[in-house]
Amino acid sequence: MAVLKEILNKFLILNGVQAAMVVQENGEIIESMKSGIRIDEELQRVIATLMLDSKATATSFGDAPLSMLFVEYADYFLIIGPVMEEFYLLVIAKNTANIGQITYAMKKNQEEIVSTL
Amino acid sequence: MMEQLPDGKSIGWMQAPPQWIFSHTLRFVGIVRIVIQDGEGFILINKGKPLTYYFKHGRIELRGNAALDYFNSNPTIEFNLSKYTPEEMSLAMQICHIEDGETKTIPVPVAPAVPAEPPARAPQPSAAPARPDTVATPAPAAAVPKPAPVPVKPLPEPETVPEEETPSVPVSAVPPPPVLEAPPAPPSVPLPAVLDAEDIKIISQIKKLNGIVAISVFNDDRNIMLMGDVEIEPLLRIARSLLATTRKITPHLDWGQFVHMTLQIPEGNIIIADYRENYLCLLTTRTINIGHIRRILRDLQISEGA
Repeated sequence: MAVLKEILNKFLILNGVQAAMVVQENGEIIESMKSGIRIDEELQRVIATLMLDSKATATSFGDAPLSMLFVEYADYFLIIGPVMEEFYLLVIAKNTANIGQITYAMKKNQEEIVSTL
Repeated sequence: MMEQLPDGKSIGWMQAPPQWIFSHTLRFVGIVRIVIQDGEGFILINKGKPLTYYFKHGRIELRGNAALDYFNSNPTIEFNLSKYTPEEMSLAMQICHIEDGETKTIPVPVAPAVPAEPPARAPQPSAAPARPDTVATPAPAAAVPKPAPVPVKPLPEPETVPEEETPSVPVSAVPPPPVLEAPPAPPSVPLPAVLDAEDIKIISQIKKLNGIVAISVFNDDRNIMLMGDVEIEPLLRIARSLLATTRKITPHLDWGQFVHMTLQIPEGNIIIADYRENYLCLLTTRTINIGHIRRILRDLQISEGA
């Protein structure tokens, strides 16, 4: 998992990114890297809720696979994108971060993340 | 007769229950053009006062209350609002043989008294039996994904749902399926005016953006307005499901005010956001510029706060 941490660390270099993690579809965090944010039990519960709910919502929409979930608040946003099967990459960033840059990095690093899982 | 009427300045096409027209045109002067199946009609409105109702389908012409009854017999209708200048209004009144200053206002019904013909049928001058339901239809139960064992317990349902007296939902480890039941009984009083001309202008401007397939303004009870050629009920089910998720997570995040949630699936994006005391739901193509939409939603919230 040290390799996975290294990959996740690449996200923290991006401006405004506070955390990057690989999660399972039930919300369990497989690996995470963070900077300036606390991943406590409450945040984990939020992630679990998001994962389960968004998967269920996408399923109810013609059994569609979830391509991306983006939740934005005034100060932070969160992006979840699929990596493989039941694994997802989740990034939390300040709202000043460049979303295009983040989604590009998510796609660019997907293969490498898959190879570590 | 319809061809002779001035065009006016179009505000946009939308789909909504007929009652929406009466509760949202208090400051509107102009014509509401209505299309139901292959028929067309209109309502001439002067600041909330319907001056005349007209509908034509083939050789059948309905005027006055007969036309109104037919409009009300449809749960939702597609219509276009076009503003008139005083001159255009005057001309339209002449064409419709309405004398200037005459308050030949046909009373606006409190609730649709005449009910929905099956949509496939052509309009009939005679009214069908009453059916009060005009707003929501019960949602079919969606398939519940089989829950896997969860190491991290997700958040429970919020105990209170804002603005609505809803029976409390039992807390469960796995969130309920993304289906909200329609209210057991439709409202029988006029719905409050929640959108004004400015709202309609904003919504129609958003709808005109490249990649926006449909836009809906909705609340916990019903769809308030829809622009776009989609079926509203399936869209609302998804929107409410996303909304339920945001209500569960927002109290647990110290991230500031909720701006929007976007669910992307291969077919496109579904975006929900707060809009005044209601919510917006946008259905977009996959290729839309999300950054552009983010800016619009943020600007909307800033203007609301101002």
